[in-house]
Amino acid sequence: MIDWLLKRFPALLMARRNIGRTKVRSVLAALGIVIGVIAIASLGMFGLTLRYQITENFDDIANQVTVEPNRDGRQAPTAISEREVRDIRRIAGTSASVVPLQQQRAPVSLDRGPPQNRFMYAVDSPAGVYEASEGTIPENFRSGALVGQQLAMEYDLEPGSSISINGSTTRVRAILAPGGTVGFLPTANVVVVPTTMFQQRTYSQVIVQAEDSQAANETAMALREQLNDRRDRFTVDDNADLADQIGETFQALNLFLLGIGSISLLVAGVSILNVMLMSTVERRQEIGVLRAVGFQKRDVLKIMLSEAVLLGVVGGIVGVVFSMIAGGLINHFMLDDALLAFRPDNFLYVGLAFAFGVGTSLLSGLYPAWKAANERPVDALRS
Amino acid sequence: MIETRDVVKRYRTGGETLTALKGIDFAVEPGEFVSIMGPSGSGKTTLLNLLGLLDDPSEGEVLLDGEDVTGISDTERTRSRKRTIGFVFQNFYLIPTLTARENVEIPALFDHDPTVEERAVDLLERMGLGDRLDHKPDELSGGQKQRVAIARSLINEPRLLLADEPTGNLDRATGKQILEEFVDITDRDVAVIAVTHDELVNEYVDRTVELVDGYMGEDVPTDGEHASDSALSASEPGSDGGGPP
Ligand SMILES: Nc1ncnc2c1ncn2[C@@H]1O[C@H](COP(=O)(O)OP(=O)(O)OP(=O)(O)O)[C@@H](O)[C@H]1O
Ligand SMILES: [Mg+2]
Repeated sequence: MIDWLLKRFPALLMARRNIGRTKVRSVLAALGIVIGVIAIASLGMFGLTLRYQITENFDDIANQVTVEPNRDGRQAPTAISEREVRDIRRIAGTSASVVPLQQQRAPVSLDRGPPQNRFMYAVDSPAGVYEASEGTIPENFRSGALVGQQLAMEYDLEPGSSISINGSTTRVRAILAPGGTVGFLPTANVVVVPTTMFQQRTYSQVIVQAEDSQAANETAMALREQLNDRRDRFTVDDNADLADQIGETFQALNLFLLGIGSISLLVAGVSILNVMLMSTVERRQEIGVLRAVGFQKRDVLKIMLSEAVLLGVVGGIVGVVFSMIAGGLINHFMLDDALLAFRPDNFLYVGLAFAFGVGTSLLSGLYPAWKAANERPVDALRS
Repeated sequence: MIETRDVVKRYRTGGETLTALKGIDFAVEPGEFVSIMGPSGSGKTTLLNLLGLLDDPSEGEVLLDGEDVTGISDTERTRSRKRTIGFVFQNFYLIPTLTARENVEIPALFDHDPTVEERAVDLLERMGLGDRLDHKPDELSGGQKQRVAIARSLINEPRLLLADEPTGNLDRATGKQILEEFVDITDRDVAVIAVTHDELVNEYVDRTVELVDGYMGEDVPTDGEHASDSALSASEPGSDGGGPP
């Protein structure tokens, strides 16, 4: 395979032999590229991982739109009616899940002790916004209750435990997965019950869970426009600003990290330039001979550039291998899962770093190669 | 084959101008074996560079196969060199990273010609180096390197061979072997021009020209006594093969 390549591209043969001639120097030059590639790839992956870690927690919020009666509006209703919920469903479209919430306050006992008054949510379809860490969340929520993880820990609850709400005993169907906030109550501390528990036809809040933050933003705008018919009857909140801000911050951070990585590649480029210049000076006569026996300028250019690119490719490949190891470590320590290093985004950075590495070598090789190719053979052969 | 007409070569160094060749008329026919002799600094290498299309004269013309090649583009010039001219340099100038065989293949490296390897082996065997094919230059003696250099100059089957001191590094026996090889290739209509200080060469050449201080005088082979140095005797290529002794 390599033999075939060398036969097919004789410039590579010359380049390989020349690199072999000054092994230590070539290894050092390639090492510069290795370090540069690792720096760019792992800093890029570090930024991505950081963003991944943070947005994972923010994702739910960023994709949510909440609709509530406008508390300051004089003509505003105090609650959201069934009809308005249907309007919201229509506006949000089929890809979003719309979950109307009732905010209730009732005496609750989680530990068979005396009941305490507690805020809770009454929901028809909790599966749209909540996830379970234990047990399952029913699609059609008619009985039982869902409990946040922190409460469950505090009162030693698990699916099947019985609690008492409003004087009647009911069973815990699921413990909610931690993270995120739905409505105003943090998921970890919430109790969720079916709407059938209270005889009420209106809702205090509607949560629209969109597919992504952009869809959430669009839905929020549509809702503001269509639901309010110019009077501010409802407040529509989305967290698109927050999502945007997080996105922008991380973009800036990543650019900064890439900038730092690029400096190391710049240094690597200078060292390749240096090695190639030394090599052209040392091989002046040799190149003169090549030109004399019929090598065109571009042939010499090809040989010298192959040399630079070969250094870059070898350095780049080694750099990529080490970068993947570094990526695995970063993901292991930050996300507890080394395999997350194989996310496509990460490969983008690794590929980018490799391309930068080879590109840097090529650029650094240009001047020495040009210089070698344009030397007049008579002059080269005199020295 | 190749001809110079009233060629002048001036070098400008600093403020001074040095005239290395002062009007040279010289011609070589296919199959001729000519030696150029002269004291150091007389302009022999300068002339060889002009004949090898490595440099342009300051005045006058260089004609290759009757065509003026002064002032043609570098690409054209390189192509002509490759097609018609073989070089044997004084210091061999082998490429140290390549084996003997690869060094011989060098001028044809970018041709993608599958017969090159075979031809290179053939040439090296003719030079008596059949058992040194895969040796690097630093594993060869001076004479062996010289023979590799000669094999390299012949790989593209040139019609003109230019040699700067081809026997300078060789003992008498090896020198003779090389010179016989040169005579052999002149039989195939290749012209050979050798710059030399070695009287041995003159036993093989068809004629010898003398270069003194940028002027050329001409002589019949192995005369020993040379004509005036300032006379511009035109070189008539008519000397029909004195042949080797
Ligand atoms: N590139 C150059 N720049 C300036 N002067 C030069 C250059 N090349 C040759 N000369 C001068 O031209 C003259 C002829 O040089 P050339 O190399 O042709 O001599 P030569 O006959 O080959 O000598 P030798 O037998 O010592 O090799 C010398 O005086 C030399 O100094
Ligand atoms: Mg000389």
